[in-house]
Amino acid sequence: MSDVTLASVTRAEWIKFRTVRSTIMGYVVTFALTLGLGALITTAIRGHWQTMDPLSKLAFDPVSTSLGGTLFAQFAVGVIGILFITSEYASGSIRTTLAATPRRVQVVAAKLLVLVSVTVVVAEVVVFATFLMGQRIFSGVVPTASLSSGSVFRSVALGGIYLTLLAVLGFGLGLILRQQSAAISVFTSLLLIVPIVIFVLPQSWQTSISRYEPSALGHAMMSVTPPLDMFGAWTATLLLIVYVAIVLVIGVALLLRRDA
Amino acid sequence: MIRIEHLSKRYGDTVAVNDLDFEVRPGVVTGFLGPNGSGKSTTMRIIMGLDAPTSGSATINGHRYRELKAPLREVGALLDAKAVHPGRTARNHLRALAASNQIPRKRVEEVLEFVGISSVADKKVGGYSLGMSQRLGIAAALLGDPQVLLFDEPVNGLDPEGIRWIREFFRTLAMEGRTVFVSSHLMSEMAVSADQIIVIGRGHFITQGSVDQLTASVGGSVLVRSADNAALRTALRASGAVVEEANDRALTVSGVDAEGVGVVALAEGIALSELTPQRASLEEVFMDLTADAVEYSSKKEPFDHE
Repeated sequence: MSDVTLASVTRAEWIKFRTVRSTIMGYVVTFALTLGLGALITTAIRGHWQTMDPLSKLAFDPVSTSLGGTLFAQFAVGVIGILFITSEYASGSIRTTLAATPRRVQVVAAKLLVLVSVTVVVAEVVVFATFLMGQRIFSGVVPTASLSSGSVFRSVALGGIYLTLLAVLGFGLGLILRQQSAAISVFTSLLLIVPIVIFVLPQSWQTSISRYEPSALGHAMMSVTPPLDMFGAWTATLLLIVYVAIVLVIGVALLLRRDA
Repeated sequence: MIRIEHLSKRYGDTVAVNDLDFEVRPGVVTGFLGPNGSGKSTTMRIIMGLDAPTSGSATINGHRYRELKAPLREVGALLDAKAVHPGRTARNHLRALAASNQIPRKRVEEVLEFVGISSVADKKVGGYSLGMSQRLGIAAALLGDPQVLLFDEPVNGLDPEGIRWIREFFRTLAMEGRTVFVSSHLMSEMAVSADQIIVIGRGHFITQGSVDQLTASVGGSVLVRSADNAALRTALRASGAVVEEANDRALTVSGVDAEGVGVVALAEGIALSELTPQRASLEEVFMDLTADAVEYSSKKEPFDHE
């Protein structure tokens, strides 16, 4: 027998992650929303393509459009991340966890390893499947994109990365707030309400601020050619990573300081 | 061996634990007794490295909990039986715990069998009764076969059969040379299950000792029946004893022992029909001890603000 290691704690967290129904349900909903809404959006566009105005046709991006369902699936993955930590506080089992693993950073690292590796696999599968389905629906009527193009492949792959980062964002908020309802409220506010607040600001501010919103970063990540008022795909990815890292660092600092 | 040294814990202005200092030795069952809210759970959480002390320390075999390399194999604890994800099964809960400390999987089956919940191990814990949850908590505490065990109010929710089982179980653990530290707010429970008792009230240490020592520390009284109670009462009061009327034409005398009562009766020529020394019950001792602690705290506070 040997000591508590990151590997042993990760095995424990993996067992915990897959043995509650909320995790499985979260991924099922992620799949259903991305794929289902993707089918709806692409079918609708195919139907209206002939009557669309030329300007819209010019700005049309077959990749980000087919991945439109991620705008809703992001809430499902966020909740998976939130529940992975807040459910421990809700039941009180966080004490059992921290008693078994007194080095608290190990708990966070192990949970992140499990959350990121599972979510990235599920999210990549779902975005590529949705993309391929979308192009199939478009084909013949609407211009399509092909994965053989490097920038198309990048946009689809970053769609999966976007969902994964949002799961981690949810986890980080859960770590800070320790309460499921509070964490879900803040998470939704960041994604939905911040854009509305910015919309109230003067026009000149809007354009310079709105591109920093998490959902705008996601849109940039999934666009083959991001609109001019947005960041480039890689800059957007980097910015989102910075956001998530800041939230995580705060969460870990609080976990180390607080009584469990 | 658990060592508590000058341990204090404050939450804002509230003092939960104040300068506790004691040892919990291996080989005996040590009871941790105090009214609800007296700081028992806080002390246990500090021992387990969950809460940080404001000052002082708690160590297990000379190490702080957070320094332990594989804590579950050194310390087992049942702090809150309901602190398990309600949607997870008992078996999976234990398997995750075992994995974190590299405890072999077959040990999970052993402890499930031992506490008697093997047949419901694949049911979700949310549906468990408090008694079943307590058994699962005990299984979790035993998982790493630790030398030091902590149980916070383990008897709560157990049926009489379960209570008898757990008492014998504590006894066995102690006989195996383990350190067994059990908290309770029930004196009667401690009297039958613990060898050594540490009493605290409002976060303060009150006393420590065996059940007999604690009973002896609070002076008993003597029950007397005589041919002439009135004359005996006058004579006893004259000798400085406190005399009260008891039921059924008897007197309860304190401040003097049975021998002293006999001497006074002989001098007065009063025939005694009964002379029984009475020990304070453990419950009375407890009330007596903790009442002092409560008075002490409430008296002290106004002076603190002067």
